[in-house]
Amino acid sequence: MATDARLTEALPYAIVGAAAGYLYYAAAHFQYHARTGTLGPDFWPQAILVLTIVVCLYEVIKIAVRGAHTHDVVGVLEDMVKESANKHAAAEPDAAPVESHPVLLLLGIGVTLLYVAAVQKLGFFLTTVTYLIVFMLIGRYRRWGVIAAVSLIGTLLLMFIFMKLVYVSLPIGVEPFSQVTFFLMQVMGIR
Amino acid sequence: MEGILTNLAVGFGQVFQPVNFLMLVIGIILGLLVAVLPGLTLVMGVVLALPFTYSMDVIPAIILLTAMYVSGTYAGAWTSILFRVPGEPMDVPLLWDGYAMARKGQAAYALGWTLLSALFGGLVAATVMVLLAQPIARIALTFSTPEYFAILFFGLASVVSLGGSSLANALISLFFGLLIATVGVDDTYGAPRFTFGVQILSDGIDYLVVMVGAYGLGEVFMRLEQGFKSAPLEAVDSIRTRLPQLREVLARKGTFLRSSVIGIIIGLVPGAGATVASFLSYGVEGQYGKRWREMGNGIPEGIIAPQTAATASVGGAIVPLVTLGIPGSGATAIILGAFLLHGLQPGPQVFAASSNIVYSMFASVFVGIIVMCVIGYFAMKPMVRVLEFPEVIVSAYVMMLCLLGAFAARNNVTDVWLMVIFGIVGYLFERFKFPITPLVLGVILGPLAESSFMTTMISYGNDWTEFFTRPISGPIMAAAILTLLFPAIRHLRHEYSQRRIAAKGRGT
Repeated sequence: MATDARLTEALPYAIVGAAAGYLYYAAAHFQYHARTGTLGPDFWPQAILVLTIVVCLYEVIKIAVRGAHTHDVVGVLEDMVKESANKHAAAEPDAAPVESHPVLLLLGIGVTLLYVAAVQKLGFFLTTVTYLIVFMLIGRYRRWGVIAAVSLIGTLLLMFIFMKLVYVSLPIGVEPFSQVTFFLMQVMGIR
Repeated sequence: MEGILTNLAVGFGQVFQPVNFLMLVIGIILGLLVAVLPGLTLVMGVVLALPFTYSMDVIPAIILLTAMYVSGTYAGAWTSILFRVPGEPMDVPLLWDGYAMARKGQAAYALGWTLLSALFGGLVAATVMVLLAQPIARIALTFSTPEYFAILFFGLASVVSLGGSSLANALISLFFGLLIATVGVDDTYGAPRFTFGVQILSDGIDYLVVMVGAYGLGEVFMRLEQGFKSAPLEAVDSIRTRLPQLREVLARKGTFLRSSVIGIIIGLVPGAGATVASFLSYGVEGQYGKRWREMGNGIPEGIIAPQTAATASVGGAIVPLVTLGIPGSGATAIILGAFLLHGLQPGPQVFAASSNIVYSMFASVFVGIIVMCVIGYFAMKPMVRVLEFPEVIVSAYVMMLCLLGAFAARNNVTDVWLMVIFGIVGYLFERFKFPITPLVLGVILGPLAESSFMTTMISYGNDWTEFFTRPISGPIMAAAILTLLFPAIRHLRHEYSQRRIAAKGRGT
């Protein structure tokens, strides 16, 4: 059990340390014309990576030797803030237990990635309306009238602000989806 | 002094131009709403406003973001006092006495003290900001690259060692940020670094993409995982503000002044900010205030101390940003981003060459604080009602604005992909308790730190001792190293005393 906890706590540092090691290797192979007596473009990133590896190694060794959940060295002022907050903990609202919904998170990330993949093909309007509806549904909101109104009106408003006022050419999409964008642009007076 | 007043008058003239004043009012309202809206933090709010400034001139853009920053330190107090829902961590100390006053039927009175504290702290800090900025900028103009590197090193060291949770995590976060800043073609040698053959990476990773992704998307992913669960609101009889009488204010002048000084000093220190100022000021009042025994039982001093310090920290934080180009907090990092977007690198040069921009920013702090208090006094009731707005809708729009913000920066979908990746990184950072601010500051200040370091090494024949032997950079470097070591020394002392107590316990 204790070994599991140590492994879970040490794993992020081990991964970051290993990634830093790989990047150090990549930095050692930067292509450039060296100048005698001058530091190369690899020096700065390599220095940062060495420091990263040192910190990660320290954390992994610390966890291995002293066990998981040992008291970390923390920021000074943050520590003082915590001390102060603990004194008055009774005055604060009872914190509700934090729920965890990894499925919602994965769906949220998935739909966001899909949005980015689809926006240039379907155009800003169609993709955004769909995205907003789906995101609110993933967030377990079920007032259909509000979802529809907020998604439609909000998207039109964003389109107007960004295309008409901020002059950003949002993706119009490919045929036949672009026709929807062109129609809306015409209605809003966007050229 | 005359020069400062003339420049400030020009700044006021700029702020009162119709477009600029409109931006100021919009910024104040947005900042107040951001502080109240569930699921939005001050830093996220300022990040989301950034894309709207792309096509603006620099002055209205800076005024908009500064106004948001100023008012974002105020409105969270309303929900703390009325509903026991702190809008931001900085509003937590307001629960201790503010909410206690509300329970005694003195909510309006408590809100009056909040307004007055924000007004006083904000205006005192703004005055100090104006007085300090020019002399500091003048000194900074004499700096060479070793001094610049030393200052950047000190700024980053204090961000790591003062804030954050675990020192190791804060360091890793900072190193990651510094590393991201190295991606792309190197300026000196033209060598591609960490591009892995991907064309878009040759231009580097835009700091905006990192900022918007890590602060905005990361936070929404975190809340989505928690199921967007907001605490139910308590019923309130009436929402209004009753200002205290002058004699009541004068009787507490010591608390006002003490808290303002704490706020300004904490604001000046990179890595601290409004939350630390608020807690520290409350703690100092609880130890040295006239009514220290009554703190926590619903007395005005318990409101004045945190609110005055929180708003005063804004003026303090703007000083290192405009004079040295070092943002000490998330919000000032984004304002720095707005400067960079318009091709300006804040620091002594901008102070000398574009003083109209800097003084417009200063003037907008003064005017913003007054406008904020007026709006707060008259429009609090409808504004706190937005707390009832479903968090999922706010979050859906935060996502949308993040995606739009990343796209609009360079009209490039690859930036949006990168932003989503940094959103996931931001989520992982939150999940594994790695602070995000050092990452963002690393990305923004990384290029400057690298160029100062490399230029020094080239100029002084790769002699790294130059940083430690020069009269200005030496002490700054020493202070930075001490700052980094201090948390570890404090930790060791704490462990030693714990061990001694345990040993004594076993002995008896």
